[in-house]
Amino acid sequence: MALTGFLFGIGFGYFVQRGGLCFAHGLGELFIGKGRRIIRLFLVIFIITGIGFVLSSFLNPALGLKPVGEIRGYGFYNVLSGMLFGAGILLNGGCILGTLRQIGEGHLLFVVVLAAFIPGMAIVVFGLDPWLASGYHVQKIVLPQLLNAPATAVTGLLALGAFFWLWKVWPRRR
Amino acid sequence: MKTAHLSTLMVAGFAALNVIMYLGVQRFWIGGSSFLPLIGKMGPGNKFLLAFIVNLGVIVGAFIGASTSGEFHLRTPCVSQLPRAILGGILIGMGITLAPGTCTTAFVTGMPMLSVSSCLSAAGIFIGAFIVFQIMTHKRA
Repeated sequence: MALTGFLFGIGFGYFVQRGGLCFAHGLGELFIGKGRRIIRLFLVIFIITGIGFVLSSFLNPALGLKPVGEIRGYGFYNVLSGMLFGAGILLNGGCILGTLRQIGEGHLLFVVVLAAFIPGMAIVVFGLDPWLASGYHVQKIVLPQLLNAPATAVTGLLALGAFFWLWKVWPRRR
Repeated sequence: MKTAHLSTLMVAGFAALNVIMYLGVQRFWIGGSSFLPLIGKMGPGNKFLLAFIVNLGVIVGAFIGASTSGEFHLRTPCVSQLPRAILGGILIGMGITLAPGTCTTAFVTGMPMLSVSSCLSAAGIFIGAFIVFQIMTHKRA
């Protein structure tokens, strides 16, 4: 399992490096009004992964759509943690994939960034977690459950919208 | 500069591989929580440890990609870059742990999963990044 995971990782790393994928750079481009590239890449990911994940349940009922972030469910903490993460990636110029990619490309600064994750994680796990645990309202959910609609229909509609944007809107705006 | 078509094709490859991994080993790519083994948290069924191993592979894969395309250059940081890198790293560390799934995972796995937590995280990432972008822009001006 570990070797398989490592091999998948090599594949991910190769594609990310050759694709130049980094959401920190992407957000920076978006904020200066040049966000077409990152929107295009995000929509491509959304279409392929979204359709793949939703169809996976037909091959194996144990798969399909699952909520991500199993510990705290969804709510205020997601927005707060997103803000901390968003601030962090803009400061150092690399999201998680971007950081790993840039280490692979020889930027030793990102080894420092990676090492600095440790005190940040420790503050939450050893400092805040015991205190936050009493206040959690764990609720794991995916959008189709919230909308009370079939997962295939929700993913299908969103993927169609994304595909329409890529096919019709994006080429015209280039 | 990578061409638009090459970028799109490679990112499509990443997305397809994520689906193949999900079908093959019933695990999808995760970012932030994969670093929890660095502080001794392996996750249920060593889930985070496996994700950490996957992400070690990402570094190797990026090295292979950079080496074969002539983009590998060993660059040492200058001291003036370190405070920002360390502060950014600490904030990322806090963000990824405060609500797991909050990071690149929200964009490449969580939102395609239609996970509500990931949609909220993505909104938070946008807000946090925008605030820092505004501060940095005003500082430079």
